[in-house]
Amino acid sequence: MSEQQPSSADDGALVARAAAGDRLAFEALVRRHADRLYGVVLRLVGDRHEAEEVTQEAFLRAWRGIDSFKGDSRFFAWLYRIGVNEANRRTAGRRAPVASLDEQFVDPADTRPQPDLRLEQDDLRRALEHAVKGLRPEQRAPLVLRDIEGLSTAEAAAILELGEAVFKSRLHRARLRVRDAVRDYLPEDPGR
Amino acid sequence: MMMGALRHPARFLRDHRLTRTRASAYLDGELGPEEQARVEAHTHVCPPCARFVAEVRRTVAALGALRVPARPLAGVGDRVIDRLREEPGRRRDR
Repeated sequence: MSEQQPSSADDGALVARAAAGDRLAFEALVRRHADRLYGVVLRLVGDRHEAEEVTQEAFLRAWRGIDSFKGDSRFFAWLYRIGVNEANRRTAGRRAPVASLDEQFVDPADTRPQPDLRLEQDDLRRALEHAVKGLRPEQRAPLVLRDIEGLSTAEAAAILELGEAVFKSRLHRARLRVRDAVRDYLPEDPGR
Repeated sequence: MMMGALRHPARFLRDHRLTRTRASAYLDGELGPEEQARVEAHTHVCPPCARFVAEVRRTVAALGALRVPARPLAGVGDRVIDRLREEPGRRRDR
């Protein structure tokens, strides 16, 4: 799993080769983006098995349709859109993901020794995961793409095929719901 | 807080509403300069709004930490590639 998004310039050469039929180039794109796409989809569908199916389906569709990728957005944004659409198709009518995500998101870099602090962080993480999981799908997706994945508003709105005003409104409501759920676990603001 | 509210109650309420409804856009730097300034000024005279904005800011910061990957993700890419290799080659497949 890469922690940074590869640049669109890096993807561009691989995409061009893949569009020309180079399967190995597309496999390189899969290795680059699969874990991250899976992580996003998992938050949307809430089930690991289904998330993997959606991820596979998204890549298969991308491979079949890469000729139609115009290059007017970053490759992973186009890929996310395919994955999000597939996830939405499968979860239509569901209120919330069905499985707990808590045990699936571990921070291996967090090696701080203070047990009390670690306990507080774990509590906050659990509260956040639970709150995100409990959001309505139309609010969860903007929050996952913008606040967890760190995409820009424009990019996330485009992936979800929403106007920016609607996207911002849903994102704000989602943040307020999460804030209501986790405020007891938030660290003190040193500036206040 | 009270002095501002008493001197200009209508403006205070407008800016209070603005802060509550646009706090996310404010934190994301997506307000125009005039609205940005109004929210900024309001949070200096309205402690509940200052707390509100601070809580949303900390919530967003905490959400960003969830991006850290999980070890169970390992192997997803390999399985996708296995499935891709079962696909018939595209027209110009090499």
